[in-house]
Amino acid sequence: MRRTLLSIFAGLAVGLSWPGTSHAFPDKDITFIIPYTAGGGFDRTVRALAPYMEKYLPKKVNVVPRNVAGAGGRKGIAQLFRAKPDGHTIAVFNMPGMAIPPLLGQKVSYDLAKVTWIARLARGTYALMVGSKSAIKSLDDIKNLGRPLKITTTGLGSTGHTAGVVASTVMGFDFKMLTGYKGAKQFILAAVRGDGDASYVLVTTVRKYHEAGDARMLVTFESKSSFPGVPTAREAGFPALEGMSLERLVGGPPGVPADRIAILEAAILKAMADPELKEKTKKRPYLPANAAETAKRAEGVLKFYLKYKSALAKQKG
Amino acid sequence: MFEALGSGLALLFTWQGTLYLCLGVFVGLIFGAVPGLGGTTAIALLMPLTFGMEPWLAITMIGGVMGATSFGGSVSAILLNTPGIAPNAATCFDGYPLAQQGKAGMAIGAAAAASSTGGLIGIFTLVAIIPIAKQIVLSFGPPEFFMLAMLGLSAIAVSTGNSFLRGLISALFGLMLALVGYDAVSGGYRFTADIEYLYDGIPLVPALVGLFALSEMINLTVKGGTVAEAAPSRAITGVLPGILSVYRNWPILLRGSAIGTFIGALPGVGGTVASFLAYTATVQTAKDRDTFGKGNIKGVIAPESANNAKDGGSLVPTLSFGIPGSAESAIFLGVLILHGIEPGPMLLIEEEEVVVSIVLALTASTVLASLFGLMVTRQLSMVTLVNVNILVPAVVSVALVGVYALQGQFGDVVLAMVFGVVGYLMIRFEFPRITLVIALVLGELAERSYHQSIAMADGDWTVFFVREISLLLFVVTALCLLLPALRYAFGRRRTGEGAA
Repeated sequence: MRRTLLSIFAGLAVGLSWPGTSHAFPDKDITFIIPYTAGGGFDRTVRALAPYMEKYLPKKVNVVPRNVAGAGGRKGIAQLFRAKPDGHTIAVFNMPGMAIPPLLGQKVSYDLAKVTWIARLARGTYALMVGSKSAIKSLDDIKNLGRPLKITTTGLGSTGHTAGVVASTVMGFDFKMLTGYKGAKQFILAAVRGDGDASYVLVTTVRKYHEAGDARMLVTFESKSSFPGVPTAREAGFPALEGMSLERLVGGPPGVPADRIAILEAAILKAMADPELKEKTKKRPYLPANAAETAKRAEGVLKFYLKYKSALAKQKG
Repeated sequence: MFEALGSGLALLFTWQGTLYLCLGVFVGLIFGAVPGLGGTTAIALLMPLTFGMEPWLAITMIGGVMGATSFGGSVSAILLNTPGIAPNAATCFDGYPLAQQGKAGMAIGAAAAASSTGGLIGIFTLVAIIPIAKQIVLSFGPPEFFMLAMLGLSAIAVSTGNSFLRGLISALFGLMLALVGYDAVSGGYRFTADIEYLYDGIPLVPALVGLFALSEMINLTVKGGTVAEAAPSRAITGVLPGILSVYRNWPILLRGSAIGTFIGALPGVGGTVASFLAYTATVQTAKDRDTFGKGNIKGVIAPESANNAKDGGSLVPTLSFGIPGSAESAIFLGVLILHGIEPGPMLLIEEEEVVVSIVLALTASTVLASLFGLMVTRQLSMVTLVNVNILVPAVVSVALVGVYALQGQFGDVVLAMVFGVVGYLMIRFEFPRITLVIALVLGELAERSYHQSIAMADGDWTVFFVREISLLLFVVTALCLLLPALRYAFGRRRTGEGAA
């Protein structure tokens, strides 16, 4: 009832602010910016969701996923910040991905502290892997290696690179980043092939390589290990790393009216709870969180990485 | 396997299977032919339509698109000097001169036959090497990629045309352009002038559309007339001599297909490199080298067989590791995952019928695309007889809309126009565009894999020579570089003797 009233008021507000039109939000298609190319994890998460989100919006409009890839996701978020804060443009955020460039002192045209958070779609937790033919069998082997551990990854400023530097620093490794790979699958392959020794990867991504016997896991940052016999960060003595993750959060530009956020939030949460979508995505399930919790998570992630600013700065060549 | 093949075939010949396959082929042809669009865009647009479909049906449709785009792209490369998709760029060099001579039909015929045969060879190779796919993918590390890029760059030596110096200048210009943007190794941004658009470097497709399509349109406007200069009448040469020429030049066809399959199987290299390597390998070994770039049918056969064969090859890493071998297979992976199919090491074992569907759809599509194309070649070829005053505005607007549609970025349109002017100046002052494109395509791969090799070997440069495959590629590169020099020396002595 309250929500209905809210939307009636929202409708009135819209009607007043744009004379001549008298319909409620959303009154046109919603653009859902994906700041990465088509075919990747973020793209998939949003594209699968979009039709179900349409189903639960109070008015029949399209939710149009739009790939605005570039500059490690910065281009898309910059575009979101330029959009009108009327709720018709939203985007999926990579946290901590979007938080890293400012940490490294790079210029960005957005401010994460001002994002209007709407919901969380998913969350991936990291783990440390080596190729199955590697001589390294445990975390202790890394310490006794006698040379820097070579970690294959994308590039400075990427999520994987940052996670690698932070976790390696916390675990006290002597390490060296082997950069330049295009995406997680490429650097997993590089570790399997022996270009480098190890890789920090998302559990969901690495699982099938583990099942196929190509990858050996050394430690996982989950709170409960999903690999039999592989210790969690807490068990290995590094509780600070527990829950080190990559979050897929939905947000709008600064200043989207609260009533519109509520409408979008409800639609996204209902969509993720839709049994049909759940069945379709059971191999990579959504992990929903509401707007308030999402804002808290975003803040937590920002704080966590801020602690390692100096370790990251050291990697700058 | 055979059981799965039987049921796969039965599915393909249901009315649904055939309908969606044809739909995919049709969309692929159109998206391939419109410069700027391409397989990736087509699949991205069709993806939401597949939501409600059975997985095999979705795969059949998408496979149809993948098999058809590169032939579609060759048609615009030949008729308008505009590569429909980046891998068709090499087809322009001889395809367009043929069209200018009124032999568009022959060139399209050759492209159709080379595409479909090359595609089939790629697919058969795929099926044959699936058991050892993993070893192939695992034996190519950064040093091998670096040497492969060197091999490609060495092709510049034979592609410089009449003036070696001008060719080198173009190539260096291309290398400079390849350095623009984010540097994955150091994480810094280079030569971007603080323009956010340039953070990701010079995007290939808009650059190619500018260099080839727009520059040619400027050139035509200045010259006036029609594309086909020597068109004696409305009768354009038939497609049959073109088709026959492919099988008469079977060594070129086989080599092109082999190069395409092989390059396709290497993750992260792609069809553009494959077709350039096939083209330059053909030029390098040809006896009639001087006729290339002026309308030699072999210059159409080589790249077209390669860029279709790469589809089969690119599925090797896709299926065995879940790593896309090309842009299209990257988004194809997305389609698979959307339908609950996890690509990767387990796919071959667990989802046999999926693999069979892909193989069958690609096979059928690569043949169907050529057949569809041949049916309308005559009508399409008429484009070369259209007066430039009508042709130029149409092509320019279609090309620019295509470039915009690719990413929805206005910057791409501006970049294409800038490259159009650059390309025209290059035509005007006789700088070869091919060396620029080779350098632009390979520069990034060369630099990145060099840095990775050096980093993984802790600064020891011998890493390039102690690994067998890398060493082998180095030897091949050295031979390719020496060959023209030796030929040149021999050639001069012979002509010297002749004059004496």
